[in-house]
Amino acid sequence: MSDPLKIGAALMVLILGTRAAAWGQAAKSGTRVFPYKVHQSSLENGLKIVVVPFDSPGLVAYWTVVRTGSRNEIEPGKSGFAHFFEHMMFRGTERYSKDRFNAILKELGAESNAFTTDDYTAYHILAPSSALETIVTIESDRFMNLKYSVEDFKQEAGAVLGEYNKNATNPFYALNEAIRDAAFTRHSYKHSTIGFLRDVKDMPNQYDYSLTFFDRFYRPENCVLLAVGDVDPEKLTALARRYYAPWKKGTYRFEVDKEPPQTEEKRVAVPWPNPTQPYLYIGYHSPAFSTTAIDAPALDVAAQLLFSEAAPLYQKLVVEEQEVDLLFGGASDHRDPYLFEVAARVKKPERVAYVEGAIVAALEELRDKPVDAARLGKVKSHMKYSYAMGLDTASAAAASLAAYLNLTGDPEAVNQVYALYDRVTPEDVRNAARKYLVATARTVVTLRHPEDGEAKAGAGGR
Amino acid sequence: MRAASSPVMAALALAFLARPACAGSAPQETTMKETPQAAAAGSPRTCLLPSQSSPLVTFRIQFGAGSIDDPPGKEGLNALTALTIGEGGTKELTYREVTDRLYPMAASIGAQPDREVTTFVGEVHRDHLKEFYRLLRDVLLAPRFDPADFNRSRDLLLAQIQTTLRSNDDERLGKEALNLVMYAGQPYGHPDVGTVQGLKSITLEEARAYYRQRYRRGNVLVGAAGGYPPGLIETLQKDLAALPEGTPEPAKLPAPPPIEGMEILLVDKPAPATAISIGSPIKITRADKDFYALMVAGSYLGEHRTFNGRLMNIMRADRGLNYGDYAYIENFVQEGGSTFPLPNIPRRQQHFSIWIRPVPPANAPFALRQAVRELQRVVEHGLTKEEFESSRRFLLNYSRLWAQNLSRRLGYLMDSRFYGTALFLDRVQEELPRLTVEEVNAAVTKHLNARNLKVAIVTAQAAALRDLLLSGAPTPITYQSPTTREDLLKEDKEIEAYPLPINKETIRVVPARDLFER
Repeated sequence: MSDPLKIGAALMVLILGTRAAAWGQAAKSGTRVFPYKVHQSSLENGLKIVVVPFDSPGLVAYWTVVRTGSRNEIEPGKSGFAHFFEHMMFRGTERYSKDRFNAILKELGAESNAFTTDDYTAYHILAPSSALETIVTIESDRFMNLKYSVEDFKQEAGAVLGEYNKNATNPFYALNEAIRDAAFTRHSYKHSTIGFLRDVKDMPNQYDYSLTFFDRFYRPENCVLLAVGDVDPEKLTALARRYYAPWKKGTYRFEVDKEPPQTEEKRVAVPWPNPTQPYLYIGYHSPAFSTTAIDAPALDVAAQLLFSEAAPLYQKLVVEEQEVDLLFGGASDHRDPYLFEVAARVKKPERVAYVEGAIVAALEELRDKPVDAARLGKVKSHMKYSYAMGLDTASAAAASLAAYLNLTGDPEAVNQVYALYDRVTPEDVRNAARKYLVATARTVVTLRHPEDGEAKAGAGGR
Repeated sequence: MRAASSPVMAALALAFLARPACAGSAPQETTMKETPQAAAAGSPRTCLLPSQSSPLVTFRIQFGAGSIDDPPGKEGLNALTALTIGEGGTKELTYREVTDRLYPMAASIGAQPDREVTTFVGEVHRDHLKEFYRLLRDVLLAPRFDPADFNRSRDLLLAQIQTTLRSNDDERLGKEALNLVMYAGQPYGHPDVGTVQGLKSITLEEARAYYRQRYRRGNVLVGAAGGYPPGLIETLQKDLAALPEGTPEPAKLPAPPPIEGMEILLVDKPAPATAISIGSPIKITRADKDFYALMVAGSYLGEHRTFNGRLMNIMRADRGLNYGDYAYIENFVQEGGSTFPLPNIPRRQQHFSIWIRPVPPANAPFALRQAVRELQRVVEHGLTKEEFESSRRFLLNYSRLWAQNLSRRLGYLMDSRFYGTALFLDRVQEELPRLTVEEVNAAVTKHLNARNLKVAIVTAQAAALRDLLLSGAPTPITYQSPTTREDLLKEDKEIEAYPLPINKETIRVVPARDLFER
């Protein structure tokens, strides 16, 4: 492309076409929950290309999924680096400086951003599909040729600290930090994605390491190119071949430490500087995402049985007794075993122990008594409809696929796991609860204002 | 750019008012124009976007009732009534029974009370439309007003003030505090969720009476979008005829109090960083031509959550001051995890604002000076032709992303009804190409100023910051890593001594725990 800025004609035309009929069928039993045709190919350097034509006329969601997140931060002092590096990816190259990169996206009227999770980092652009080649040009360039000054690197560290600070007044971030730190002893899930504050503050001194980080992880075999929208798979694949072919494979190999089994309950008290209702956060070690083993899907079903608005426990604590005003829980999909988490905001400080007791009792009931088949059917219906209804824009479909591409590298994983949900039996739920929702695998964090009485770490009650 | 830990992120969405997740789909038609519906005399007004190809159906049922209608001493009556209805039972069914029925459908009914209107949003897959419709109808037309639903809703609203706003979300606190000072003594002046004493004083009978008074046939706008059958709207209109007749007058809105110089409210609380919101009321809305001119200038200064804006580039990218800095020319609430504006929060009076996300406390005065100085520069010199052209081009495309699904399109369409203008997104396409840089700069001069501003600052050690600001002493930036860029260092010297026109009479410090009490 001679000059990607000369794309004034790239006006997106949001005319509205006919939705693929498959979408409406998605929630019915036996059908694929992700109903769109997925085109896959890969380059010789290992870069995977996934294209999903979607009814969003004139518009394409262009994602690059880097299968590296805070899970990969296995060296001491480097927590939060995957996220910090995500920020650096917006600092430009020799060909397209930061300002030029931004100007091109501005010209397109594009939405562009990125996010980092425990397991992956995703860069996403929503833009006119008529500008596809421009997008491929600037994206391939930064993934292959990122270049920033020490000065830029150091200033970006301030933005990351700012992000930490904006989150710091929210109790959920403090709870999340505390539960990971306590529940994990070896695995890198011990730290949150944004990292330990001490490491965030030290980031300006890590310029050299940032070059190493880029060299290790921003490699084609560790990435997936994902385009959803008004896009011709053949055209995109041809563009990808042209622009991403020079990207060299990496050599870095690493292993994340396995977390040894937890052998006894852990309890942590977090003092909160501002007056607040107390929060209760409970985590149980739980299995990694799988498209074949039934345990993780069974726990997802268990989470619905316990914490959805229709769940007896929710109705008891939130609606009838009104002891709690927020209650939710579940195990989010992770590449390695993570946590089945439960969070509750309790109305009265003196009722925290009671609420903990009620939650634990509900989990125990799941271990002892097989769940009613009719309730299980409602959960499965809810999960399928909920997923299907969420696929309402190209961006939403891309976000969903990106998560599954991270987990397995295969977009079909979403259909496989929903097929597993369909197969979950009352016995599967009971077995998973017996195996994972046990006291020895539990970490309990309470957060409260010191004036409401010390958060007594040993005060769990029934 | 953000760090996401999924379970926590999901939790954050729940930490404030339950906003129903918006889902929808693209309609079959090639335009966003609504389908005209012949309205029988006395029938509720409608806003319709049918699309037979969509498997989803969205309802947005909007009542002309907002927190501006809260009687003095009963602040929160509108929100509490809406929540008791939207998250409560029906005459036939308890809340639990309603929830049990909605659950297998993954359908939702949610209340979105705001300053001027209250919107009930329902989303369902068309497989369940019939059953869902009956529930939605009964929730709205035969609300249970169960004391348990009422108490639970009140606790939730109180928690939003006492726990969330005062303690656990400094960014939102800053914005709400700005609203408080900008509209002191005016119906916009209290949070849409109410005040602590107001909420505590409301009785169930008062909520029931408010429902009877404000939820009227002439006061409802029925929005529907998606794959609903043709007869549904007729049924809906017939059912809504059960509402009492009449069109309650909208509450009178006096002009906001005049601002003399920079009037600062410092909100004191333990906090690791300092959140700053700056603003001033403006006299235009989406109905006015000048709004579209000002839109270009606002976007240039700081389009929400983008990396284009001037403030974002000079404050975050160049100096690492914080996570983000943006500017707005109307009340703005981000919809969920998207970057786009939440529909159905229209206001007859609007304001300009700058949002400076938390900065390290030592840099707060510098950040305030830099933002105001930048605003002054724009007011004084305007945009260059190039800045104007690039911001206009950006907005012409970017604004099209604001309504990617039917539910959001419907919300925008209803907002346009409120403002009495053509569909906002269409008007952007009409007005922007006609604009000149001179018109934009004239609108900036006419509607914005950097002298008379309200400022809300949420910070620890607020009294010390007040004294520092009053001293007028230079407040240099402390870089996390010193910069070597000569251009920045030179400009920093000017910024650190930039004279803020602080009104020394009106500056005050308030503990966070005292805000929104009554």
